[in-house]
Amino acid sequence: MNTDVEELLRDGMERFTAEVRAPAGLARTAARLRRRRRTARAAVAGGTAAVTAAAVTVIVAAPGQTGGGAAQARTVAYVTSRVESALASQNMVYAARTQNSIGTSTIMWATWGYRSRGKIEEFAGSRWCTSRGACTHRGGSGLALADGTALVGGKLVSAYVTYYNREFSLTRLVPTAARACSTTAALELGGPSTVTSHWPAFIGATLRCGAATVTGHVRIDGVQTTKITGKPVTIRLPAGEARDIGEKWTTARWAVYVNSTTYLPVRMEGSSTTFGGRRPSSTSSSVTDVKWLPPTAANIAKTLVTIPAGFRQVSSPADQ
Amino acid sequence: MADDRTVAELELFLAERADRLMRAAVLLTGGRDAGQDLLQAALERLIRHWPRLDGDPEAYLRRTLYNLAADGFRRQGRLRRKLLLLQAGTQPPADPINEVDLRDALVRIMLQLPSRQRAVLVLRYWEELTEAETAAVLGWPEGTVKSAASRGLRRLRELADGWHEPDAELVQTKLRGHEHEHRC
Repeated sequence: MNTDVEELLRDGMERFTAEVRAPAGLARTAARLRRRRRTARAAVAGGTAAVTAAAVTVIVAAPGQTGGGAAQARTVAYVTSRVESALASQNMVYAARTQNSIGTSTIMWATWGYRSRGKIEEFAGSRWCTSRGACTHRGGSGLALADGTALVGGKLVSAYVTYYNREFSLTRLVPTAARACSTTAALELGGPSTVTSHWPAFIGATLRCGAATVTGHVRIDGVQTTKITGKPVTIRLPAGEARDIGEKWTTARWAVYVNSTTYLPVRMEGSSTTFGGRRPSSTSSSVTDVKWLPPTAANIAKTLVTIPAGFRQVSSPADQ
Repeated sequence: MADDRTVAELELFLAERADRLMRAAVLLTGGRDAGQDLLQAALERLIRHWPRLDGDPEAYLRRTLYNLAADGFRRQGRLRRKLLLLQAGTQPPADPINEVDLRDALVRIMLQLPSRQRAVLVLRYWEELTEAETAAVLGWPEGTVKSAASRGLRRLRELADGWHEPDAELVQTKLRGHEHEHRC
């Protein structure tokens, strides 16, 4: 059987993708997304937000969902443009803590970002093991991994540290921001866990392209906020994940609360519900509280991954 | 507009290549939506370089596609772990070996391999590239490609070694039943 494995794999891959066809207009969509991203970058770089036209897109994208007709649409456009303007002109250190709950299990993340630097730390609320058999050592509040940028020899590189097996790897810096305006982005917002140094730009872009609505005003930690809710997104799970969890579909929902005065995000909520399989439906929920800190040297230092002494270097995160 | 011309040229190029590239993207990501996202990301980079691209655009696109896939494991890994927590407290999933044809089982196992190993296997056994060509696409040393392929194949061989050919008719019935499910 061994000698045939390659041939069987080849056949299997042919069959797995036999019905796959590329959707029409791929190049046009890619060009549109690229223009959108370039505009967002320009807005961030220049401290201005060319958002009016994009905000109008939200109105068009969500007819009938805002519940209040033209007046509500104007509200959405206004709030979205103010949020984007605030995000584009800020020069703060983004600091967030996310708690993700699935039944009685929880995972905690701490995320930091400043300009091109970013870091996410994952605290293992529950013990989990990789496919290679390495397990987080104790669960609870133990730091499981850190992923982001590190300064090595004066140069920014991508660093990945796994504390449970005391290993780290350094690789060239590759942008890992989730793509806005895609189902993947909605999934990420459904449980914010993205490693990105461009959270502000990402949130801004997602607000522009998604069917978002202003759904109310809430006081959070004494701060008056405006709640913006995204349109739920449902996707079929990739085959491997579908088999692992015994479900076929997942629906992601998200909401962003912005400070009604500064229009900077102060909280993000997300949830993803899986269903359609042999298991009972399950929901994973997350709450991310965001703080915007002054760009002091101490705060900026927190946006970088540091390699603990005595950890072993391996060639890539895939080996960890 | 220059952008419009680029898009028109690109559409022409994609008319012949897009399906094959999309299939590769699906194999690299394990799903149609994620595959489309991956291909879009690679196309965005191609558009950026299109006006001054010197050489074969397909080679550039392919190289970008596979490198993005090989680098994209971290975010996927986190989402995957989160999803895996959903199975806490419930019984383990059914053994796929008893449910599907070996070829399907091999692909499913391949989709669970680390991104870099998966990229190498897709390049080697679906694109049918040599180790040297695979190394060139990924920009890795040939030794890294060899070890990644070796580790990936070892996992697949373990599965194949434990495989007992089920009743052929039963397999056909089950494959028909699973066919839709396998179309991601």
